[in-house]
Amino acid sequence: MRRRWAGYAGWLMLGICLYFFENNTGTRVILACSAFVPLFPVLRSAFFSPDGAETEKAAEARTVKSFIRQETDEPGDVRAYLPGDPVRRIHWKLSAKKDDLLIRDTVITQEPAEEIRKSIPDAEADRKPLRKWLPGVLTAAILLGLLLLLAIPEARRGVQALCNRLFAASEAVNSYAYRYFPVAEHQSVTLAGILMIFNLASLLALTVVARSRLLTLCVMAATTILQVYFGLSFPAWVNIALYGLLALVMMKQHPSRRVLMTYAALVLAVFLLVTLLYPGVDAPTETASEMARDRLSQMAQRIAGAVSEMPVGEMETRHVHTQSLETGGRQALTEREFRLVTVEEEQISMPYWVNYLKMILLLLLAVALVVVPFAPFLLLNARRKKAQEARKIFESENISEAVCAIFHQIISWLDATDHGAGNLLFRDWSDKLSSLLSEGYAVRFSECVEMFEEAAYSNHTLPCERRQQALKLLKETEAALWTKADWKQRIRLKYWLCLCE
Amino acid sequence: MRPQLENVLREIEKVIAGKRKVAEKILMAMLAEGHVLLDDVPGVGKTTLAVALSRAVGLSFRRIQFTPDVLPSDIVGFTMYEKGSGSFVYRPGVLNHVNLLLGDEINRAASKTQSALLEAMEERQITVDGNTYPLEAPFLVIATQNSVGTAGTQILPYAQMDRFLVCLSLGYPDYEAQMTMLRDRQDANPLDKVETVLGKEELIAMQREVRAIAVREVIFDYIVRLATASREHEDVEIGISPRGVLFLDRMAKAKAYLEGRDYVTGADVQDMFMDVCAHRVLLKEGAGAGTVKQVLEELLKKVETPDRHSRFPGILKK
Repeated sequence: MRRRWAGYAGWLMLGICLYFFENNTGTRVILACSAFVPLFPVLRSAFFSPDGAETEKAAEARTVKSFIRQETDEPGDVRAYLPGDPVRRIHWKLSAKKDDLLIRDTVITQEPAEEIRKSIPDAEADRKPLRKWLPGVLTAAILLGLLLLLAIPEARRGVQALCNRLFAASEAVNSYAYRYFPVAEHQSVTLAGILMIFNLASLLALTVVARSRLLTLCVMAATTILQVYFGLSFPAWVNIALYGLLALVMMKQHPSRRVLMTYAALVLAVFLLVTLLYPGVDAPTETASEMARDRLSQMAQRIAGAVSEMPVGEMETRHVHTQSLETGGRQALTEREFRLVTVEEEQISMPYWVNYLKMILLLLLAVALVVVPFAPFLLLNARRKKAQEARKIFESENISEAVCAIFHQIISWLDATDHGAGNLLFRDWSDKLSSLLSEGYAVRFSECVEMFEEAAYSNHTLPCERRQQALKLLKETEAALWTKADWKQRIRLKYWLCLCE
Repeated sequence: MRPQLENVLREIEKVIAGKRKVAEKILMAMLAEGHVLLDDVPGVGKTTLAVALSRAVGLSFRRIQFTPDVLPSDIVGFTMYEKGSGSFVYRPGVLNHVNLLLGDEINRAASKTQSALLEAMEERQITVDGNTYPLEAPFLVIATQNSVGTAGTQILPYAQMDRFLVCLSLGYPDYEAQMTMLRDRQDANPLDKVETVLGKEELIAMQREVRAIAVREVIFDYIVRLATASREHEDVEIGISPRGVLFLDRMAKAKAYLEGRDYVTGADVQDMFMDVCAHRVLLKEGAGAGTVKQVLEELLKKVETPDRHSRFPGILKK
């Protein structure tokens, strides 16, 4: 565990060093490295491979097993019985034939079984020591090397050259990406920003749900930031697939179905969001819309030109035409042209389902607007009812029930004001109470705990004064909490007291 | 605490000072009709404790020192051919007419001997050559085993550890107790001073009363949740068995009875949890979780206590 964190810390320090190196020398190492981000999983499987070790161990255990089996199954010579030989080894069939006891003599070809057994628990310790230390040693070596490089000017220049070469290589990768994954220039930053937020959120979820490694998070964040920073933004689906793949590869174990479903749902949500906000992201649609816009403006110009060339006597008609254009009517166009324009306009506008989605969102908003102002009242009323029901039990005929209820009320107040001792039995609470509240209160509390235990766990009917005793403790709790509470807790206490009245 | 049981404990304390907790637990195991496994180093007073207990309660006591050549027939008896009468006669073993049996160093016995004893413990009767002989009514086995120097011994398998109600350890007495011990034993054996303060019949009646103690559903629920949590714990290979669940319930009842209550509280379960369950739990090999005790303590902390159980009425939800 500690080793792993040390590994992370090493990576982090490496990153910081690289950043300063870049600033100082003017090389672009990080950018160059970004081209090799997809290599991370490979590196990881080379360095941190608990699964690999696991299988190694299993294989070792298997070979041990087969050793033992071989030893016992090995048929050997048959010899005469000697006193002290185990009865199990007597070869009954042959003995019956010869009328004399014969022993199956086993030949031990392998090493003694005891020694082999001993090696089983040690299998873990015997894991290649090189592999265990490799990440740490490598990181240290790289750090040391970098420091040296920064110190010696000649070496610095050499590295500069090398890094620029690397940068060229990464540029080649980028240009390849540009060619095959069309990029919408003006939207790339926003899009990538959204993607980054999404990725961080989903990865946080993954880390929490599947306990995947921190490294995943770092790599993802780095990839996204690189994308945003350098303007290389793949289309959404490529990103999603890439991140998903990385996340799955990095995950500690095989992901459960729930994790996959969560991820898929998140992907879908973001895909919808992106398409909704930027429907014209892909290049063909963009070109089509451009062309359609051009043609529209051409048509408008043609109509306007025709009108201006008309004689003065026909100004009336022109006026009507202009008016109809302005009001959006299309009567001035011929039937066929009008239809064409409408079709084209529909084509370049948003997909039809976007409108439906918008409608649904609006409806939801409207419902929310209607409900939200009343929600607190509804909630409060429900709570009030519940609290009053709880209070009703305080007066119940069954004294045990009443005492239990009162006591749990006390406990819930102590809990809510952070005076509770968590998942301890109530009789063990008095220590914490005496230190947090007062000595006297703790004593009375522990007296009442016995009463509570009798009420909760026995089948007795309790005497009536127990209820009074419990109620007294309740009042005392209120008073004690009130004196100790800060203003926030006081507001909460007041709120509850109001609820119960 | 019940006055009669208090008397018994006082009698025991005459002989062995400063071990009241363990004596209480053995008494509880007796009330709960279970058997005790003492896991301890030699010479801390296991035998003395057992003898004192047997005298204070008026039980017949016998001790058997296990070695590899003690055979099952030594325990359950055997039938032999008698020449004079010309018929087979049953010769009873060590279990005949005994209420409290101290089996010393049970891990030294051969496994067949161990299982003969454990079978008798479980069934409270013995069967030899087709004849069944019931054992005397209060029957308690206190078996001891040494946790150090186990070379050449037959360590009790888990299945058999499971049959003991509790696994206790006496531990070394403190300074005061040892001083008292030395002072007391200068001229007389304090064991002679122990008087019988409780009869066999009374003990049987008490056992019946223990069985009748009320246990609410919330307590059952707590016990089952504890057991389930132990089975689901990531470092645990074998968790608490259903038998362990039953035993925990019985031991909690005995504790409640000893304290003079007629109902079981969550505290009873928690107090008895370690002693009843520690020897039933096997950790995974190579798990980094520390000892069984730590795991069980973690469980106690983690599993919601019955005090907080939401089945109680009138809890104000946050």
